[in-house]
Amino acid sequence: MDSQVIQKGLADISAEQDPTLKSLKLASLCSALWRERGVELVVVGGSAIEFLTDGAYASGDLDMCHTTGATLPIRDRQELMGLLGAKGGPRNWQVAGMFLDLLGPAESFARTPYRRLEGPCGPVFIMKAEDLLVERILISVYPQADQTARDCAKMLIAVALREQVAMNWSEVRRVAQLPEYRNLKECEDLVQQVADELKLKNPMHPAG
Amino acid sequence: MNSNSKTPCIPLDKAISWEDWLRGRRARRETSKLVAPGTARRNSSSKDRRLRKLFGGERGLPFTPTEKL
Repeated sequence: MDSQVIQKGLADISAEQDPTLKSLKLASLCSALWRERGVELVVVGGSAIEFLTDGAYASGDLDMCHTTGATLPIRDRQELMGLLGAKGGPRNWQVAGMFLDLLGPAESFARTPYRRLEGPCGPVFIMKAEDLLVERILISVYPQADQTARDCAKMLIAVALREQVAMNWSEVRRVAQLPEYRNLKECEDLVQQVADELKLKNPMHPAG
Repeated sequence: MNSNSKTPCIPLDKAISWEDWLRGRRARRETSKLVAPGTARRNSSSKDRRLRKLFGGERGLPFTPTEKL
């Protein structure tokens, strides 16, 4: 990616006032730059859920992980982010009027693919909806009940039930049964609740 | 059938185009707000200090209202 393209993308991100678009454009630009150097990034956590739900939930930072075995050496990361005029590092930067956090290797248990969005500077990988859902439901219960996390999970369930986001419900069930989560009952209960609220069939129910 | 066929779906096994993702924003927001109408950003987190410093006391830029998506 030549410097003119980078500067054009950066100017667009800096001027963007819609926080979700700003975040997504930054993810697209960063992903393209890291990809050129052999590292694939994926958007995780609240930012990923925001891209899937548009739920007006995420804060002004973008969380990404790397899906490839290794990340870039610290020196390379700093030089690369320097191309974007970033400040700070080597794991979080202020760039184009927001923050980017690089959290390390992606934790994923679902066998489904990362969701992909063709961003303005190239593809953006988004954490698998099945992982996001089971994880968010866990956070909504442990270590303490968390209403914001519960609402966030409900939004993701709702867009999936309305087929605005593809969700593999068998994988949700399998991941929720893994030793890493062990929260199938909580997942089933919340999906049932949202299905009832929307008056839709529950795809996790045996007769769903 | 739970289908809402006018809204482009973010698919499992292929990429969604930028245009289709943009086109689905309003419907996704409306669906989200049906089940979590009062949802807002968390009041605080470990990143609170730097966020509020950058965003004038807030934790991010204001969201675009649903009717303008």
